[in-house]
Amino acid sequence: MNLTMKWLPVTAMAALLSACGSSSDSDTFDYDADAMISQTVNGVIVAGYEELDNKAQLLIESVNQLKAKHTANTLTDADVKAAQDAWKAAREPWEQGESHIFGPVDSLEIDPHLDSWPLNTNDLQAEVDTAQAGYDVEDVLSANDEIQGFHAMEYILFGNGVSDNEKAATEFSIGEINYLIALAQAFEKYTDDLFTAWNSNHNLDDPQSLAFKTFLLAADNEIYSSQLAIIEELIDGMIGIVDEVGNGKIADPFGTSSQTADTSKVESQYSWNSLTDFANNIKGVQNIYRGEFSDSADVEGIIDFVSAADIALSKRVDAEIIAAINAIEAISGEQNMPFREAIKDSAGRARIQLAIDALFTLQLSLTDDLKPLLNDWNAK
Amino acid sequence: MKAIALVCFSFFLVACNSKDSSSKPAYTYIEKTAGEASNTTSNLSGHGFSQPMPNLTDEELALHLSGDAFFEASFTSAPNTAQPDLDGLGPVFNNADCNSCHQRDGRSSSLTISSNVSEIKLGSGEGLFLRMSIRDATRDDQCTSIPAIQNSQNDFCKVIPVPNFGDQLFHRGVRDARDDWNDANNPQKNVGQANVYAKFETKVVTYGDGETITLRKPVFMIRNPYDAPLESDVTASPSSALLQPNVVTGARNGMPVFGLGLLEAIADEQILALADPSDKNADGISGKVNWVYDVLKANSGDENPISIGRFGWKGNAPTVRQQSLAALRGDIGITNSLFNEESIANTDLHTAYLARTDYDDTGVDAFGNPEASDEFADAVVFYAETLAVPARRNVKDEDVVAGAVLFDQINCTACHNPSFTTRRDADFKLGGLTPPKGILNQTIYPFTDMLLHDMGDDLADGRRDFLANGKEWKTRPLWGIGLTKTVNPGAGYLHDGRASTLEEAILWHGGEAQASKEQFRLLSKDKREQLVDFLMSL
Repeated sequence: MNLTMKWLPVTAMAALLSACGSSSDSDTFDYDADAMISQTVNGVIVAGYEELDNKAQLLIESVNQLKAKHTANTLTDADVKAAQDAWKAAREPWEQGESHIFGPVDSLEIDPHLDSWPLNTNDLQAEVDTAQAGYDVEDVLSANDEIQGFHAMEYILFGNGVSDNEKAATEFSIGEINYLIALAQAFEKYTDDLFTAWNSNHNLDDPQSLAFKTFLLAADNEIYSSQLAIIEELIDGMIGIVDEVGNGKIADPFGTSSQTADTSKVESQYSWNSLTDFANNIKGVQNIYRGEFSDSADVEGIIDFVSAADIALSKRVDAEIIAAINAIEAISGEQNMPFREAIKDSAGRARIQLAIDALFTLQLSLTDDLKPLLNDWNAK
Repeated sequence: MKAIALVCFSFFLVACNSKDSSSKPAYTYIEKTAGEASNTTSNLSGHGFSQPMPNLTDEELALHLSGDAFFEASFTSAPNTAQPDLDGLGPVFNNADCNSCHQRDGRSSSLTISSNVSEIKLGSGEGLFLRMSIRDATRDDQCTSIPAIQNSQNDFCKVIPVPNFGDQLFHRGVRDARDDWNDANNPQKNVGQANVYAKFETKVVTYGDGETITLRKPVFMIRNPYDAPLESDVTASPSSALLQPNVVTGARNGMPVFGLGLLEAIADEQILALADPSDKNADGISGKVNWVYDVLKANSGDENPISIGRFGWKGNAPTVRQQSLAALRGDIGITNSLFNEESIANTDLHTAYLARTDYDDTGVDAFGNPEASDEFADAVVFYAETLAVPARRNVKDEDVVAGAVLFDQINCTACHNPSFTTRRDADFKLGGLTPPKGILNQTIYPFTDMLLHDMGDDLADGRRDFLANGKEWKTRPLWGIGLTKTVNPGAGYLHDGRASTLEEAILWHGGEAQASKEQFRLLSKDKREQLVDFLMSL
């Protein structure tokens, strides 16, 4: 999400910590980063954006199905559930990709188009009201971000999320569905742009321009001066999202007490997908750290870079990533409590605090122990 | 030679006394270009512009971090009952958050236009807007003469706003900002005061060694002004106030926001010592202070509320506070305690908008409070005041060292003055407040003289701004410039983002920089690359 939730600069904390965090071991170490960078860029980042675009296409199919069924008066709750699941499926690679928010997602202003927050639901409803006969995707593309992207689709698909995250087939209007289709089409246009920029031409208007991945695969260019710069970028990306989840996405709505907890600041509050979002954020850290997705074969990742310098540290960070994911997933507890309720529940708050602690531990390791290894690496 | 030369000469003498850099400028091996306010981390990554100064206190760091979050806060149109803290966008604006024009605290992405189309319309993907004003021979002459006539009679040389529009063209709007937002034939939904389109013009430059390079610059076109929606800038005898022949416009691209508190902390005397507005030494390089209206001084009752302009492409803002909060109110449309009235207040567009929308978005609440709280405004300002400057990279690389020498030899340093020392006196206030100690008494290497220079016809926008004439621009700081594309791969250089590389930016230099540009053009390819290598190390 694009903001309030956008924590407070963890980058700053990283700066502070790193300032005092030079490696305790002044020995240098060797590591050939070619395979690691190649695998991480191609196998995680580019593959992740391709997956996002694939899921976006499936989302279009799913909402088109809503319209077909609605038009035929055969729309069922199962159809709605399928569309909701398609939204969640697209959400997964996006949230995991927030561990590497740099490059075209930023320079092409794609992030705010896809994941802007907050919405203006008054304006969104006003657009829905005009969509009885259809809605042109071009009107979405020229609209302000407050009425498009993931959360606009979420609002239509799941309702306002206050008392539940369910929406019956009978609750859908044709205006909502028409607008939803246009939202999904605009969304897919941007996910396609993102994948194209990484995989084909980083300047979408210049077919001669290099794929953005090239700048990482062949360092010493105007963007990345060296492999050292690329690894720093990857590490900063991990630090950034761990900070954002712990100190922003969770801490902001958590407040200082159940009385100050603020559900209006909860990410994915309409779908109650918040904890899945957070867990996926940290799974994205795991993807970058390991250089592979969780269901893929073991290949080179940053973990191997760390291992070349400090095997114990490489294992500790890996374990801390797992611990953070587990702590986030444990927040819902045995009652399967959504995050927006957990922040107001005493037992839920205790579980949330454990997740915050686990994230802080991980963040310290990344900033204070892992990042300083860059100073000791004999980069080629 | 102007005064700066003496400074450089001093550096040269110092360099001569060192053991290992006998002929090198004093800045050659400097890594921490902002002293203790330089980055300690992320100097190679896209986070390079986003670090807090490492010498802030815990309390200052907390304020900085709050400002960081607010800097990325995206505003929505009003009313927004679910998120009232972040409503109030516009009703006409250029972008919805600070970050869109200062991506990752750096430059915004440049315009790109596909070869399949001849032009594009500026929308939500651009971090650029047009400033505008009325050309007035009397005031323009008074304010650009040397010495200038600048007093209350000529409104301290403020620009004359376009009637019913203002001095900044807001090309975006909330959904229903305009009366014709839902017009059956020509709807202007999400459009601001007018649509702005852009196309490119190109020219070819040939180096001394025969190599050629094609430069391009954007040209802007205005269409569908709200006061005459069917008109454009090619309409004969237009009725729109915006399209009158005495209206002059100039593009402004988002620029980096780090190191700004340090620039505000340079003593006036140091800047004035570099000025040579009449070019008395006849070296072809003048250097002029832009004295500008200081809102903080005016609010304190000062009868002559002018100060040295330090920020903005023409140096038209004296403080980070004034610059930032004017942008918050202008670019985004969020009123604040320093600028507590919408930019378009009292224009026909605003009057009609308020009447049509039941006065839901007046810019103040029922108690007269502006849209941004002081907590928000103060934190955002402090954030921009206290972002660290990236430390240099590769300072011992032999090409970088050679480039550093060339930078001095071809006289880039005449305007890109290497160094200042920031103030340390107890009287100094930063935007009217007690400054963080971390910005005080730092030897800094921003590579700017903070002065205006005639940059030639190719860069001219023809628009006066306080004392700056239509060809004059403030020397841009160069610190951190080598990380520009790392921070934002789509970023461009110069006031309209026209230059996609540093090499192109150099070749656009003209006017007082013509001689240096020519020397660069005549360098061998190897030496041109060395000079760029030096810039990339900054």
